[in-house]
Amino acid sequence: MPQQVPRLIAVFVVALAALIGARMALVPDTFGDLGHYRAAAVDSITAHPKKYAGHAECSLCHGPIAEQRLTSNHRTVTCEVCHGPAAQHTTAPMDIKPTAPRERGLCPLCHSYNPSRPTGFPQIDEVAHNPLTPCITCHDPHAPEPPEVPEECSACHGQIARQKAVSHHTNLQCTVCHEAREEHKVNPRANRPSKPVQRSFCGVCHAQDDLSGERIPQIDLRSHGEPYMCWQCHYPHRPESG
Amino acid sequence: MQGFIYPNEFELHWGLLVVLYPYITGLVAGAFILASLERVFNVKEVQPTYRLALLTALAFLLVAPLPLLAHLGHPERSYEIFLTPNRQSAMAMFGFVYAWYLAVVLLLEIWFDYRQDMVLWARQSTGLKKWVYYALALGSTDLSEKALKFDDSAGRWITVIGIPSAFLLHGYVGFIFGSIKANPWWSSVLMPVVFLFSAMVSGIALVLVLYMITTMFRWRRIDMACLDKLAQFLFYAMVVDFSLEMLDFIHRLYESEESIEILGQMIESRLFISLIVLQIFMGSVVPLVALGLVSPGLRKGGFVRVPPELKQFVYFTAAVLVQIGIFSIRWNVVIGGQLFSKSLRGLTVYKVELLGLEGLAMTIGLLALPFVILWVLVKLLPPWQSDEEVAPA
Repeated sequence: MPQQVPRLIAVFVVALAALIGARMALVPDTFGDLGHYRAAAVDSITAHPKKYAGHAECSLCHGPIAEQRLTSNHRTVTCEVCHGPAAQHTTAPMDIKPTAPRERGLCPLCHSYNPSRPTGFPQIDEVAHNPLTPCITCHDPHAPEPPEVPEECSACHGQIARQKAVSHHTNLQCTVCHEAREEHKVNPRANRPSKPVQRSFCGVCHAQDDLSGERIPQIDLRSHGEPYMCWQCHYPHRPESG
Repeated sequence: MQGFIYPNEFELHWGLLVVLYPYITGLVAGAFILASLERVFNVKEVQPTYRLALLTALAFLLVAPLPLLAHLGHPERSYEIFLTPNRQSAMAMFGFVYAWYLAVVLLLEIWFDYRQDMVLWARQSTGLKKWVYYALALGSTDLSEKALKFDDSAGRWITVIGIPSAFLLHGYVGFIFGSIKANPWWSSVLMPVVFLFSAMVSGIALVLVLYMITTMFRWRRIDMACLDKLAQFLFYAMVVDFSLEMLDFIHRLYESEESIEILGQMIESRLFISLIVLQIFMGSVVPLVALGLVSPGLRKGGFVRVPPELKQFVYFTAAVLVQIGIFSIRWNVVIGGQLFSKSLRGLTVYKVELLGLEGLAMTIGLLALPFVILWVLVKLLPPWQSDEEVAPA
């Protein structure tokens, strides 16, 4: 056997032995019992001390505030989301106090403008929106209502407004297609605006026999896309996108 | 942002470092396949680049996992993919593909090829250097004819195993993207094949550039027969690669799946510079025409006869353009696949960060690192031949 072979074999045997040794020493005993993880991790995680008390515990002492929150727009945001983990506070209420965030930084975590947030969700531009003023100066976080009724749809529907502004529908007011009752501005989810329910609505401008002129795309409403509503295929806030 | 996108599509999760990773692994596979030309297919003209190609492949292979480690974070946990292998995950199995290629293919081939030289260098050197070479040769100092013959045949067999391994290494990277069914830009059975041929193109172009630069810095005369052969193979690999890419495009157009409209919009807007200008025009058409005219790829001596200096300039420029084009391919695949919404109704944008763990500075650093490693390797294991002609003053 050439001299090289036993030496190379020795190198590979050492490497393999190191791998096997590392596996024996480092892979936990319960690894793979339940899945591709350490099964004992479940027990060690459940053994962690409890940090969160849960909002039911809070309402035992803070009843009025808890009730106020339950009927507000923050009804799905539990107390400890803003105040932090409060399990220790429930055992020693006077000695350990949860935090009460009063600075400007916390609210924008959810309410600063971000295109990936659902439309209609209140979003602000932190730089332009009342700079340096803490949010709680104007908004009560336990019952957050805008101090003034928004004047424009774009206050809440910024993403749609931005798209419409660069589309062929830029000159159409929102109210041409949507009827929004005044209550929508105060309680938006309980009073949703309307959407067109007839194909003939879009046909006012886009049907072949209308009077809108040739520069607007026109189709035969009887043969084009039956039985679907126009907005099921064409996105009205930016119709050229497909 | 334009049109409608889903909330989780606003920010891209795979950034510049994930672009860098397939680019580097492609260079590794390509450089190795070039080395195999001389070893297995007996293309004698490219012999001057054989060892340089092997060292280049090693230098880039050592850096290949670093972009992933920087992207994923917690590099101290990376050894766990070896200890608890997850056979359900192609990404997790990469550790083994990598280890196989590094330990069984590249290091072994370099070792067999350099053993004789390392023994000789150990004998000629003194002090620490002597022991470094002795240790690198694993103390195997037998230089008998029989032992050297064994080195040669073992090296040849490893190269034979190495070619499918190189295909595995980079085909795997294409496989990762090609097997993502939910993404119409990636999901293509051609993806591993396109990745493979683009790897060959980038590897040959890189070794061509490195060979020219290192030869000039050593004041040696460039072996034109070698350079012509490199350019010829670069041209052939580019023809196949470009044809496959066009086949992929035509296939998509002919299929005209529901995604074709948004992909068309993406190419016209977001990817216009990187795909139409850099990948297709600058990175493929211009080098193909240049190499087709000057290199012996289509006609012995080339269609246009030019002085060797101009020829070298054309080859060098074409190879650099090819590198830009191949990097653009990786960019267009990785970034392009995340720029359009899965709703097929909108496009998002990607802005490169300058600093940070996944920023431009990190990418440039990781791209420069293989060249530093290569410099060290070349100092330690000089790949040059002793009978090279000295360049005229």
